[in-house]
Amino acid sequence: MTPNKILGASMNAVVINKVTKVFNPDKPNQVDALLDVDLTIAPGEFVSLIGPSGCGKSTLLRLIASLIGPTAGDVLVNGKSAAQARLDQDYGMAFQQAGLFDWRSVVKNIELPLELKGWDKAKRRARAHEMLALVKLPEFAGHMPWQLSGGMQQRVAIARALASHPPLLLMDEPFGALDEMTREHMQAELLQICAASNTTVVFVTHSIPEAAYLSDRVVVMSPRPGQITEIVDVDLGSDRDEGTREADAFYDSITAIREALRGIEHAEIRGGVDDR
Amino acid sequence: MNPRRAIDVAVPPAVFGVLFVLTWEAIVQGFDLKPYFLPAPSAIWNAFVDNFDLVRSAAFASGANALVGLLAGTLLGISVSFLLMRFNILNELVSPLAIALNAVPIIVLVAVFQNMFASTSEIPRRLMVMLIVFFIVLVNVAKGLRQVHATHLELMRSYAASPLAVLTKTRIPNALPYLFTALKIAAPTAVITAFVSEYFGGRQNGLGYFIPSNFANSKNAVAWAYVIGACLLGLTFYLISVVLESIIKQRRGAAPGGETT
Repeated sequence: MTPNKILGASMNAVVINKVTKVFNPDKPNQVDALLDVDLTIAPGEFVSLIGPSGCGKSTLLRLIASLIGPTAGDVLVNGKSAAQARLDQDYGMAFQQAGLFDWRSVVKNIELPLELKGWDKAKRRARAHEMLALVKLPEFAGHMPWQLSGGMQQRVAIARALASHPPLLLMDEPFGALDEMTREHMQAELLQICAASNTTVVFVTHSIPEAAYLSDRVVVMSPRPGQITEIVDVDLGSDRDEGTREADAFYDSITAIREALRGIEHAEIRGGVDDR
Repeated sequence: MNPRRAIDVAVPPAVFGVLFVLTWEAIVQGFDLKPYFLPAPSAIWNAFVDNFDLVRSAAFASGANALVGLLAGTLLGISVSFLLMRFNILNELVSPLAIALNAVPIIVLVAVFQNMFASTSEIPRRLMVMLIVFFIVLVNVAKGLRQVHATHLELMRSYAASPLAVLTKTRIPNALPYLFTALKIAAPTAVITAFVSEYFGGRQNGLGYFIPSNFANSKNAVAWAYVIGACLLGLTFYLISVVLESIIKQRRGAAPGGETT
């Protein structure tokens, strides 16, 4: 275990404290994306953010990643400011689009974050192969991204996000563009990988079953302005497999999440497009 | 492409070409067309063989004009596209101009350049080729540097990448296929521009000079011999662009669509 992880165990993975985010303040196109959001995530926890379009779930994820800064309030990752955590590469990130670099082979895509961290070539090559084995694509190291299917590309993106063994993984609808079968398969694999590496995950999704299957807690959000309306605990234990999808507890969780979402004014639920 | 398929593809146009030339010969002989109207292919071929050294030196002169202009325009286009990427104000200034040039026959500028330099100078036509290539390269490479995938930029930010790393590991590799696409458009255009520029006057050494001057002197077969030279030179530059295209295809699957000016 790295010193980082030992430290991480003693503190919260993510602390969001009274965070407000306003886009284009004082302009006609002002958007109150988030208002007074509080959320604390423990190390090793799997937390999903769910809600209708415009509820600010992607914005919240980007605040944790320090891709954008808050208008008010603060975000702590690993006990430091989100900005510092980003500079230290304390998290990995994956998006709906795999976002592989077309001009790099699969293995070189996975190496990129390590390259930017200044790892030497042999060390990062070894790690990249290790990650490829983890996502079950060892024979595709030399392939170019466009030679891979959508599901395989997304697995490479996850391998890349986890390459530096970050304690935190941030995912923005990573399986949104995949077909249902591939999607369920990927969900199961993600759980295995995260359990094996004890990674904390914050996961943005539109899918209620996906949130229920993956999460320890599901954060339900409402739009205009984006706020947390309810946090649903999912009690499915830590050993989840295909059988979990048929379990009564699974359906109970789906119902609980759905009811929490219904609590949000019906007209607001449009689903579909992204809310960036 | 396997050899069998290559033959299948090559045979029909080759047969058509041979039939075309034979028919041409037959019509000229059969109707006894005068050489000043249309010379027979056999006469053109003889003129080509007789004047081979002259045609070759004229093709080299035109080829040099096209090549120098192509290289200079490409280098200048790449340099300025970096400036456009860096300074938004420049981009807003130059991009509409580059697009507006689509509607303007800027080739007439060669007359202006002609006026600026000595009549024996190669510079005016090379400047003209450079200018036309410059805009093709500029528009495409600037697009490649700017139109970077939003996800890629977010990823680079999440890696705390320096602006230099974003440039070398994201923007430049993203722009490379755009550069190849630009060159594919620019290579044949450079040859045509060189011909037309030579036709406008100045030093009398290129194909663009010898073709009209031989027609003017009623040496039609010789003029056609220079046309053969022009075709060969055009094909050479076209081949360069085909090779460039295949390089992109091998590396990326498909090349982005290019823009002309």
